[in-house]
Amino acid sequence: MIERLRALLAAAAATVLLAACGADAGPPAPGSTLQATLRDADGDGALERGPAAPLRDRTELGAPAPSTRTLATLGIISDAHVRDEESPARVPFLDRFGSPVDSTFRPQEALSAQVLDASVRAVRSQRPDALIVAGDLADNAQANELDLALTVLRGGRARPDSGAPGYDGVQRASNADPLFYRPDTDAPRHPGLLERAQRPFGAAGVGVPILPVAGNHDLLVQGELPPDARTREIATGDRMVTELRERPKLPDGSSSGAQRVAAIRAILAGPQLGPSRRVAPDTARRELRAGEVVERLRDAAGVPGSSASLDYAADVGADLRVLTLDAVDRAGGSGGAVSAAQVRWLRGEIARAGSRAVIVATHQPLRSSRGGEAVLALLDQSPAIVATLSGHTHRHRIAPRRTASGGYWEIETASLADHPQQARMLRLVSTRGGGRALETWVVDHDGAGLAGIARELAFLDVQGGRPRNLGAGRNDRNVRLGLPAR
Amino acid sequence: MLDGVDLDLMPGELVAVVGPSGSGKSTLLHLAGGLDLPEAGEVEVAGERLSGRSDAELARLRARHVGFVFQAFHLVAELSGEENVRLAARFGTRDAADRVAALIDAVDLRAVARSLPAQLSGGEQQRFAVARALVNDPTVILADEPTGNLDARSGATVLDLLRRSTDSGRAVLVVTHDPAVTARADRVLRLHDGSLA
Amino acid sequence: MRRALRRLRGRRRRVLTAAALTAAAGLAVGVAGTVGFSLATGYDRAAQRTDQPDVLGRFAPQRLSVLRERLDRLPNVEAISYRLEVNRVRLAANGQSKRNGAVHVVRPGRRGYGVVAGRDLGSRAGEALVERGVAEEWKLQVGDRIDVGGLGSLRIAGIALSVDNVAFPLATVPRIYVSEAEISRRFGADANPGVNLALVWLADPSRLDITLAAARPAVFGLRTEQLLTKRAVRQVIDQAAGIVIALLAVFGLVACACAGVMLAAASAAEVRRRAPALGVQRALGATRGAVVGDETLDAVLVAAPAAALGLGVGALAAAGPTANLLGFLNEVAPGSALLWPLAGAFAGLVTVAAAGAAWPAWRLNRKAVSELLRGGDLATGPAKRRRVPSGGLFGLGARFAFARRGRWTSTISALAVAGAAMLLVLAVADLLVSLRDDPGTLGRRYALTVPGEQRDARTIARIPGVAAAAQRSTVEAADSFSLTEPLRVIAYPGDHVPFEAPPLAEGRRLAADGEVEVGLGLADTLGLRPGSELAIQPAGSGELRFRVVGIVRALENDGRVVYARTARLRDADPSLGGPIAIRLASGADRADVVRRLDAAGFESSATGGATPRNRSFLGVLASVLRAVALAIGLVCLAAILQTLALTTRDRRRALAVMRATGAPPGALAAVLTGTAAALIVPAVVLAVLLQRFVLGPIVAELAASYATLPLGVGATGILLVGGGLAAIGAVAVLVVTRAATREPVAAGIERDD
Repeated sequence: MIERLRALLAAAAATVLLAACGADAGPPAPGSTLQATLRDADGDGALERGPAAPLRDRTELGAPAPSTRTLATLGIISDAHVRDEESPARVPFLDRFGSPVDSTFRPQEALSAQVLDASVRAVRSQRPDALIVAGDLADNAQANELDLALTVLRGGRARPDSGAPGYDGVQRASNADPLFYRPDTDAPRHPGLLERAQRPFGAAGVGVPILPVAGNHDLLVQGELPPDARTREIATGDRMVTELRERPKLPDGSSSGAQRVAAIRAILAGPQLGPSRRVAPDTARRELRAGEVVERLRDAAGVPGSSASLDYAADVGADLRVLTLDAVDRAGGSGGAVSAAQVRWLRGEIARAGSRAVIVATHQPLRSSRGGEAVLALLDQSPAIVATLSGHTHRHRIAPRRTASGGYWEIETASLADHPQQARMLRLVSTRGGGRALETWVVDHDGAGLAGIARELAFLDVQGGRPRNLGAGRNDRNVRLGLPAR
Repeated sequence: MLDGVDLDLMPGELVAVVGPSGSGKSTLLHLAGGLDLPEAGEVEVAGERLSGRSDAELARLRARHVGFVFQAFHLVAELSGEENVRLAARFGTRDAADRVAALIDAVDLRAVARSLPAQLSGGEQQRFAVARALVNDPTVILADEPTGNLDARSGATVLDLLRRSTDSGRAVLVVTHDPAVTARADRVLRLHDGSLA
Repeated sequence: MRRALRRLRGRRRRVLTAAALTAAAGLAVGVAGTVGFSLATGYDRAAQRTDQPDVLGRFAPQRLSVLRERLDRLPNVEAISYRLEVNRVRLAANGQSKRNGAVHVVRPGRRGYGVVAGRDLGSRAGEALVERGVAEEWKLQVGDRIDVGGLGSLRIAGIALSVDNVAFPLATVPRIYVSEAEISRRFGADANPGVNLALVWLADPSRLDITLAAARPAVFGLRTEQLLTKRAVRQVIDQAAGIVIALLAVFGLVACACAGVMLAAASAAEVRRRAPALGVQRALGATRGAVVGDETLDAVLVAAPAAALGLGVGALAAAGPTANLLGFLNEVAPGSALLWPLAGAFAGLVTVAAAGAAWPAWRLNRKAVSELLRGGDLATGPAKRRRVPSGGLFGLGARFAFARRGRWTSTISALAVAGAAMLLVLAVADLLVSLRDDPGTLGRRYALTVPGEQRDARTIARIPGVAAAAQRSTVEAADSFSLTEPLRVIAYPGDHVPFEAPPLAEGRRLAADGEVEVGLGLADTLGLRPGSELAIQPAGSGELRFRVVGIVRALENDGRVVYARTARLRDADPSLGGPIAIRLASGADRADVVRRLDAAGFESSATGGATPRNRSFLGVLASVLRAVALAIGLVCLAAILQTLALTTRDRRRALAVMRATGAPPGALAAVLTGTAAALIVPAVVLAVLLQRFVLGPIVAELAASYATLPLGVGATGILLVGGGLAAIGAVAVLVVTRAATREPVAAGIERDD
């Protein structure tokens, strides 16, 4: 009896509170974590506003002197994974088996475009000179995914829906499978979320030059498999596999790219695939060929060129040059791969940089890519290099790399797909005494509307960024990085 | 209060007892009717001794032999005049019920038989009281200042009723201040300092 | 103050009567309040005292690191402890033994139990903790020794209490706790037996559903046997004790209300009785406020000690049986927390008594003082020329009662409330008996089963005494996603509600072939809500899908049940059968129906009730109820006595005149009987109506979360309560008549105070 009275009181209180605040909004953050952060102080699984996180000095390569002038400001968005969640070319039923297939489904996957849009707005408010998109802009190498993502980045009318109007995927309420988050019935309940997620919306765009980096999910199906006739047939077809008959043989984390590709092909062809259901086909779901992807991204960057590999140089202001390297292995596999030809190209570009500071951007970190050692050896010999940028790990990480001539910083940015769902700002500054330093801080999107719900769901995801601590520590987020004297 | 009282009532007698207030006149009446028990001495009504009787026996004796009339009438407020008489008739012999109508006519109250005491005048109430006292055909009537609360005319009527009630051999003992009553009494006794004279 | 005491001393007998009434009311409130409060708050208190986890997960034994890696991912978690539960261990102590004991191997960390005697497990070797239920049943104390299977003889270091189940022997498995260190000592450091229990405490318990939803993907692949939430445990415990707990809690409220009415009536009557005296005071110049103040003070001085005494005695009397009850439920007595509601009850009773005196004193003062001083029989209100029905002496007595409208109304209301409360008690007592013998409560409504086919059901339904019959099929099935141990599907051809109706927690009853109701346990594990889809794999057939329309509080199979219609199950498995469930018509004679079934060739078996197995538990409950009923009876007796005494006093003169006119004591008794009847008869009628239309439905509604209650009032109940009140009335009449006739008639005629 007391329980019921308590429940009544709680319901009354909840109604009052709900009426007071907006129904779906997460805690609104102003954006820059220099002003306010998001954290779960009481451990209840919900993010609340926290105190500001001022820049901390990192002195491993030299103590940074006070800044005098900003030379260039970059925004960095990484691993947006804009996905067409209704596509038949997906394997969300693998997700429950854990690593390495635990990114095949995310509870917030229908909201990827809205999260990108909110992050773009947040970065834009920080007034960068250019935006680096550090790879995995799309999720499944599909044409409609890339188009949607580029529309959001450049501004325009974004249409997240695909296939028949409305949502028709694994998260619908009538799906009996309790391992998919169904917003109509599972906690935290958000009735009607999926329908709202399909609605077109106006994207403002970032408003500054975009510098995309090729990521494995931009060119490979599920980030592993080179698209072929079979995959295209599935993507544009009308049958979606809904479950497996038995537990599949999965590649483990240490297998090579070739082994993983082979394993996935075996699953797709094998008898374990279970029943499928009819869905509305959509030709826009076809996977782009590698050349098409590179072309579109080059177009977005406004960079001329014709090579099959998305390598290019771009100047940001008078003092900074960004060199972009395409580390996607066209043969398949999610690991990075850099060829000797690319190293040669890089050497030339570094030489042409002159007195500018140079930043090298790849999707996968060079330290774990095939051929990456050669690149790092080259960079170690170039005093112009101030930092390397990468994504792919979905985790913030800032580490010094000491070299004979001083050293540079390895800066990795977390993703929008998983918690912490943050973008990064990077600023090159000149310091008193004629030196230079880097300042970097992370940016939360404002959490308005669907983006806020996506952040809530990403935080709760047991396969996501929170249990794996992808938000990392203070020294990997808002820091002032001292650079060696020239 | 009473000390050394000797009293004999003869049938057909109307005896008046007078005395100053507080001299125990009412007490004498109560003792006579068995409403109270003397500390010493005997009370006999119609040959029956009252001492050593249980309450039920006393009640039976009272029902058969004694009728009371009080100064303040003491009719039951919830019952009509006729019902008050009928109430008393319950406790008497079976033929008492037949006497009710005749008695009410005899006291000339047929017209207001159904009225509640609150709707009746003092004289009418007292006449019902007299009818009530008579309904069981008692051997003796004990009246305590029966005219005390009445005007002269009503008092005369009631006195008349009491006087006539002795015709059938009934004895009436009246405690009174009223000279009209003592005038029509057969004997007048004075209660003084606890004894009768 | 001193004046007040002097005043009271002057009216000693009346003061004692009023005090007795207050004490009786206090007694009723004390008993009902103690029981009700203790039981209503018992679970929460125990859960807090024993640090009950919010979620209890049972798994197949795993390595600790495996389970930890999975469960550390859960959001909204404050702490997790792990244990190994080993079953079917022989436990023996103090001459008692059981082969099915459970040993919980406890690791460092939050315990999830409370130590109620002795101390917790420490680093000393050879120690164990014993569950409180076991300690009480086997008469064990700290320091005694207990033989534990392969561990040998261990010393009992302390006694532990945990609320995740009812106590032994109500639950049949005795439990002890040993430390992991003990296991290592005995079997070696690398014995590494693993863990199979996870105790999860949430940072924010109100966000339990979020953690449960996250738990599903987190534990996928482990063999999860059960995810038991605190709210589900509470349901099991509350239901194990029967819905009587909720009833007693409500009952406490009713008793308080009843006592309040009685007290108010008593105080008011007392004041009215003293109206002439009050008039004298006013005539002498006392102000209204002073008079009211005096009356109130008098009432408080009488009520306070009496209420305190009654409450104290009631609470003490109820304490023993209540502690006994709580012990069965693994719950904790409120101890000093009981002082708060008792203090509140005390304040309430005294306030009611004071208000009961102040209000009429205030109102009486409004009448002209002269009116109050007028002697004679008080007849309230102007005399009306209305047809007054005659009825002899009884009628006269009744009219005496009606003449005092206010007193009559308040006494009748008090008696009606008391009568309704007693009817409620009887209904509950019937429920207890039926719990034992007739499973018509706690969801299961069929009393008999016979083997047969559905076509036999029609034949059987025609047998006199049978209200309904249908085939009841059960199918063991697994959920399609292997998230839970086998669940049980219970299917009827049509509506299952006439045969089984576990209370509905959410949604509605199923109405079509594709719809199902699921138990709360299953809903928690699979995240089902009305509108969800359920996919199951019955043993030996393909997958079936249903739409969940309702969630029920079912105890069977730990709530992992599904209620469905037979059609789809039979399509999947044409050989599906089952016994015919037979529901008896109300008032039917079971033995007779059994005979007829036998004659028709059906061999019947009786269904047991879903009751606690221990009879002494029911016995304790019954004795508690009887105590409460007795207390209420006392209150009724006091009320009727009071009213009759007051009437006698009011009508002293009329009664004296009647006696003077020759009325025997029997006549007086007749009049008073009329008065008593004028009180009791309408009170009984009102009581029945009150119970039927107000109290019964309210209580059934409040207890609806535990069971569907048929809390109707049978003819026997009405007869008992009516008869009881009549008996009480007769006793009161006798007492008052004797007192009245003992007094010399003359006294009545002369004085009227």
